[in-house]
Amino acid sequence: MNPPARDLHPSNMAEQAQRRAPVAQAQEKPTDNNHAYEELRELIVKPEQEGIAAIQDRLENLEKRTQDVSSVVAEAIQMRREKGDDEALADALAPTIQETLRESVRRDPQVLADALFPVMGPAIRKSISETLRSMLESFNEALEHSLSWQGLKWRIESFRTGKPFAEIVLMHSLVYRVEQVFLIHRETGLVLSHVVAPAAATQDADMVAGLLSAIQQFARDSFTPEKTETLGNMTFEELQIRVVTGPGAVIAAAIRGHAPENYSIAMDETLEDIQRFYSSALANFKGDAAPFRSAEDRLARLLETQYREKPVEKKKPRAAIIAGAVALLLLLAWGGYSTYLLWEWSRFLHALRQQAGIVVVSYTKDGRTFHIQGFRDPLAEDPRKLISQAGLDPNFADLQLAPYYSLDDAMVAKRANALLHPPASVKLNAKGGELDAAGAAPQQWITQFEERAPWIAGVSKLDESQLQNSTVQELNAQKNAIESTVLLFPLGRAELEPGQENNLAQVEKNIRELVAQATRLHEAVDVDLVGHTDTTGVEATNLPLSQQRADQIRGSLLRNGVKAVNLRPHGVGTTQPLRSEDTEDGRQLNRSVTFKVYFSAASSGAASGAAPAY
Amino acid sequence: MLQKKVCMLGSFSVGKTSLVRRFVESIFDETYHTTIGVKVDKKIVNVNGEDITLMLWDIYGEDAYQKMRMSYLRGMAGYLLVVDGTRKQTLTDALSLHERIVQEIGKLPAVLVLNKDDLADQWEIDSVQESKLTQNGWTAQRTSAKTGDAVEKVFLHLAQAMLAG
Repeated sequence: MNPPARDLHPSNMAEQAQRRAPVAQAQEKPTDNNHAYEELRELIVKPEQEGIAAIQDRLENLEKRTQDVSSVVAEAIQMRREKGDDEALADALAPTIQETLRESVRRDPQVLADALFPVMGPAIRKSISETLRSMLESFNEALEHSLSWQGLKWRIESFRTGKPFAEIVLMHSLVYRVEQVFLIHRETGLVLSHVVAPAAATQDADMVAGLLSAIQQFARDSFTPEKTETLGNMTFEELQIRVVTGPGAVIAAAIRGHAPENYSIAMDETLEDIQRFYSSALANFKGDAAPFRSAEDRLARLLETQYREKPVEKKKPRAAIIAGAVALLLLLAWGGYSTYLLWEWSRFLHALRQQAGIVVVSYTKDGRTFHIQGFRDPLAEDPRKLISQAGLDPNFADLQLAPYYSLDDAMVAKRANALLHPPASVKLNAKGGELDAAGAAPQQWITQFEERAPWIAGVSKLDESQLQNSTVQELNAQKNAIESTVLLFPLGRAELEPGQENNLAQVEKNIRELVAQATRLHEAVDVDLVGHTDTTGVEATNLPLSQQRADQIRGSLLRNGVKAVNLRPHGVGTTQPLRSEDTEDGRQLNRSVTFKVYFSAASSGAASGAAPAY
Repeated sequence: MLQKKVCMLGSFSVGKTSLVRRFVESIFDETYHTTIGVKVDKKIVNVNGEDITLMLWDIYGEDAYQKMRMSYLRGMAGYLLVVDGTRKQTLTDALSLHERIVQEIGKLPAVLVLNKDDLADQWEIDSVQESKLTQNGWTAQRTSAKTGDAVEKVFLHLAQAMLAG
């Protein structure tokens, strides 16, 4: 652009001087010649001169040189690299680049941080997950040998689900719930988007976000010298607020419980995504959150992270719990049944021991079978019947009971009953070797009892004080019946009053039975037949009449086959009236025959003596 | 709905918190509470038929011991510069604070609030000064957080200015 400034450049001047030398010589020649030479020279070298001047200009002008280099610098670097000699280039550039970066950070760290943000996130995450993985592997190994209940449980779960053990461990540490997620504009602290988990208690999102930003700034101002650092977590007992900060936006999550570290990675990913997607909206934010409405889906996924873990976490214990509960139930049922059986058996054994006539010496249990050893009186209860009564299976009882005579009172009584066959009216009772008989028994049985009872095992003494002889009792009853019979006669006659035949037949029967009984008791029987008259008439006729009446009855009895009894007729006339004779009824009763019965020890002759006394 | 971050600025004890309480909750409390750090409050106002959410950052009052940190002001869309009309110094301080903000953050919609109008007998700012402020382009407004006079008005002024800006 500028004309060549020859005078200013010494090298140029020397060159010029050389070129001018012949011209100076020529100047001594006529000026025409000079002029022509100049013209010729100009014709010949001018284009070259101009070219040289242009080159000189390009070399000497810094701006132009810069322009030249700038158009080839990229290609040059590439060529250099293609030559495979880029180490030198890197060496040459390194100090400058380092210095540049250092200077950039010194001036404003935010610029570089913003630039690196999309790169650094994934890079750091990759490195962290790598570290975590190797850490878990060693953790896995450490737990490999641990025999803690929890470790064992997780190991079983790992085996059951086919998942790596480390994953199971991680899964179990995911017990948390993300209740709210805020997307906050970093600069203003205003809410861009807010999602809430179902049924989570919330406050005004705007206020929360504003305060969060204020706290962030307060914390940064108060505690961190480096303005680039941000508050990451706030923890209140069970509630944790996790904050991830990007250049234009902040995501804050309110988490109940303990979220694993990798939850923050999910937050980071979401934030990076949002930063990328909404970068211009974030930069131009003027208070209108409408463009960020579509970010809700992304934020909601941060809530869902928790839902994805929850059922998985819940399902497994449930299956295990059900399996465990069933197993436990079966175990309990089995245990309960065995215990019940054992209890029933022991109850049965106790009852068996209480049984008279059974002695249990020992018992053993072998599987389901009970072996019982001891003694049993043949008259004791059948133990098999007792087993059935107790609701147990007699097939599972092995009874080895040797027979013996029990001296137990109940058994002695039972034995006495079995051997003596007492009539129903007699009760046998044994007590300390004494056998008591109580009640009424025929003479015959009493005789047997007295003879045989002392021979019964366990009986050493008899007590008959409560025993009545039923034969004697019957005899007395018949005697009374006979003696209360009154056979009536008509006035002045010795033949029975009509209608008295039945009475006669009855007394006849009574006498016959009485005699039979008495014979068995070895008693002789005398019956007085007493003839009576009323006071009508004179005693001289009455006495023979009464005798006739007694004789008449005796004859009748004898005719009807009454034997082995001494029938003694007496006529007493009016001397023994049955009633006073104020009435006809009284007089009628006195015209009669009555009976009187006497017993006496039978002598050999008397038993069959049927002959009349006279 | 539009949201705007608004800061309450001014010296200590000029009535920033009282103004916010009066505005948001219609309450005035005689006792004085020093604000430590920041209180954030929210109020929805209607400007020309449009609802705007104002996030009110009530920032602790500046004094000789506590310089206010500019970081709290990041992203604000406007501010109320609160002055205690009974203390002349607070006006000077407010104006110098304004200068700092213009330098560090830039020009933003602002309203100058001359508070404690109920204490007119102790008033230290004369009408000449007041009219000078108006001439200099300030929207200046006397208010009383105690009686509630013109409190709503200053917030609405600011909201309108922020929408226009």
